[in-house]
Amino acid sequence: MLPAVREAMAHHYSHCELFRRFCEARGFNPAKPLDSLLDVPYFPVTVFKRLDLRSTDDIIRVLNSSATSSQTPSRIALDNITRNRQMRVLAAILGDVIGASRRPFIVLDAPPSDVRQDNGNALALSARIAGMRGYLLAASEIHYVLSDVAGRPVPDIDKLRNVAAQFVADNAAICVLAYTYILYKYVVRPLYDAGIQIELPPSAFVLHFGGWKRLQDEAVDKATLNRMIGEVFKIPRNRIRDIFGFTEQLGIIYPDDENGVKRTPVYSEVIVRDPMTLLPVSDGQPGLLQFLTPLPHSYPGVSVLLDDMGRIITREPSEEGRYGTGFEIIGRAVGAEIRGCGDTLPTRVYEVTGP
Amino acid sequence: MQVQVLFDQSGNRAESDSPTGSLGESIQRLRAAQDELRRLSVDDLISLFDEIARAWSSPRHSLAATLRENELGFLTLWMRERNLRRICDLALHGSRHCLDEFCSLSPVDARVFKAQPRGLIVHWVAGNVPVLGIISVVQGLLTKNANLVKVPASDRGLLPALLNSMRGVSCVTASGMRLDGATLTNAVCAVYADRQDREAARQMSLAADVRLAWGGRDAVEAIMSLPRKFGTEDIIHGPKLSFAVVGAEKLAGEEQARAIARSIARDASAFDQRGCNSPHTVFVEAGGVTCPQDFAKLLAREMDTIHRRQPLRVIAPSETVEILAQRAEYAMQGTAWHSEGMGWSVLFSENGRGLGGPCYARTLFVRPVSDVFDTVPFCSGATQTVGLALGDRRLALANALTARGVERCPEVGSMSLYDAPWDGLFPIGRMVRWVSAS
Repeated sequence: MLPAVREAMAHHYSHCELFRRFCEARGFNPAKPLDSLLDVPYFPVTVFKRLDLRSTDDIIRVLNSSATSSQTPSRIALDNITRNRQMRVLAAILGDVIGASRRPFIVLDAPPSDVRQDNGNALALSARIAGMRGYLLAASEIHYVLSDVAGRPVPDIDKLRNVAAQFVADNAAICVLAYTYILYKYVVRPLYDAGIQIELPPSAFVLHFGGWKRLQDEAVDKATLNRMIGEVFKIPRNRIRDIFGFTEQLGIIYPDDENGVKRTPVYSEVIVRDPMTLLPVSDGQPGLLQFLTPLPHSYPGVSVLLDDMGRIITREPSEEGRYGTGFEIIGRAVGAEIRGCGDTLPTRVYEVTGP
Repeated sequence: MQVQVLFDQSGNRAESDSPTGSLGESIQRLRAAQDELRRLSVDDLISLFDEIARAWSSPRHSLAATLRENELGFLTLWMRERNLRRICDLALHGSRHCLDEFCSLSPVDARVFKAQPRGLIVHWVAGNVPVLGIISVVQGLLTKNANLVKVPASDRGLLPALLNSMRGVSCVTASGMRLDGATLTNAVCAVYADRQDREAARQMSLAADVRLAWGGRDAVEAIMSLPRKFGTEDIIHGPKLSFAVVGAEKLAGEEQARAIARSIARDASAFDQRGCNSPHTVFVEAGGVTCPQDFAKLLAREMDTIHRRQPLRVIAPSETVEILAQRAEYAMQGTAWHSEGMGWSVLFSENGRGLGGPCYARTLFVRPVSDVFDTVPFCSGATQTVGLALGDRRLALANALTARGVERCPEVGSMSLYDAPWDGLFPIGRMVRWVSAS
């Protein structure tokens, strides 16, 4: 990883003026030897919300993050090189979980045809569809089993039951794919409450992604969700995989392994930093998560800090032979509780126009 | 409803399993103690506070470390006799003795006037700047009121410890009377109730003759929305922000500029920049011998000096992320000076305009301005303090700034010091009820 990261840093240093200034301010020169990933400068992903950072003019597409934690999304400019790398890496990581050959996907979401401009939810739905596009490259066929009704996902239970029954009859290796919050709020919770079970083939995987932020008010944790999924779809825990990823390093995904542990693939590494000292914390201690990957070519997203807290769980390979640093996401970085009379005011008070 | 009594006539209970008490009984005891307080003269009370301040000044005092760690050293100056007499006189039409007896306030008015205590002051204290909560209680006692204090969850033990220390001090007044600290502290009860405990908050509010609240917007709005008795006085210290202004005439040489930078660094580092009086933006006028960018560099050095002596105590992870983003942004488009970790940050850009969104944790935005009066439009009723480093223009600028809503314009270096008026009012004046007789 180290030489690849150094090469990537050198590329962005040479091709992105703002990034070069940042590196210089941090005393980082990619021409000099790099002893450790710990020495690679990093900045929070929120910088992509404020600045248009590009390392090439050959942009084919600009991605927007989901912007759930603020009003402004990150803007990530992609070129062909980055997009191809993302696709290949995503396919490789996903293949490592579900197998290299394509398989049928049941998508717990509305089909792209439901995106209509007269629908108030068109933007949200099209963003969801864009977000799952990479996963669907592993699909041999796709069955959407939700509809978008007045901007709200509505499951077609009969269709889901029929499609699943057919695959059970065929004993097909399939995947069920969904955003975590849609899986819980619109499918699993209602089915669980109604006592409805829909059997999936024993080799099926349930993959869910997109994070837990939208479930904060639902008082559901991962163990509860897994238990409910297991009961509704009659599949064991180790076939349910929560996948973590973020727009600023798209392509790299972190699915749970058989034991529910997320591990870094060979394409990335994670460092956990103390919020006060910024030094790496001991394994097991919580801190802010820094991710490094040489993947991004069109924007300097090689080394970024998330506003998520997490901890390293293990650096040992699993019994199933999974390698990589095992880590856990704890939750969002929390704010200060004791600002009192010095607390912030509505943003209209500030006239922030710098730098 | 569950109210934990942390300090009352029995002393400090914060370190033991604090009993849950009946609010009504506590208030009854407070009112009885208030009667004792009313029998004393304000100068006697001031003598006792002066003695407490002297005791706390000793480096060998059992609370010396606590006072230092919580930046309460200012109290030992603020509670001295001369200062307390001054602030009482200022707030009470020039005569603190109105607290003791009917006094004439004007040679052309035959009437005499007295400042009667309002009764029970309920203080809602914020955790960001402990000194302000204590100052409120002292003012409540000087005006001979009973005081019920709801302490913050973040700092339950501090106020009870200080009150307990006050309790153990005694003095002999000018009139030869021996006074015990308990006479003061018997009129104070410190309690803790969970912020979700609406019933406890409601009962405290209904009991209050004065509601005094420090806090953020949500906290003070929640308190203001509680029911209250007719005629209850409200003293609200809600969320405000502050900045500093440096005029070109004060940047005539590096030594002078360094001294100003040192003062601002002190203001910004006090209470880890969590006070409403902490500067977050420093406007530096161009045209001096030291240019705004060089001033920012000097400021960074002074921030570092303070950091080495007194490091930042606490930071929230979300603050770290925001400050790191600002550092990166300024490194890319301006200049960012900062500590290795999250100790302090000074951020400068020639293109920076307006107030920087506060990041806290000793983060300063330095903005160049061509004229110090350009800062006036950035002020509003949400601006608490503007620290000034100016020559002859200081009163003219102070007039313009305060006309836009600013509450105080002290010299830089004094921004963090509590004085009166504060947030547009003399708290002591609001803690009394003025009465007259002929």
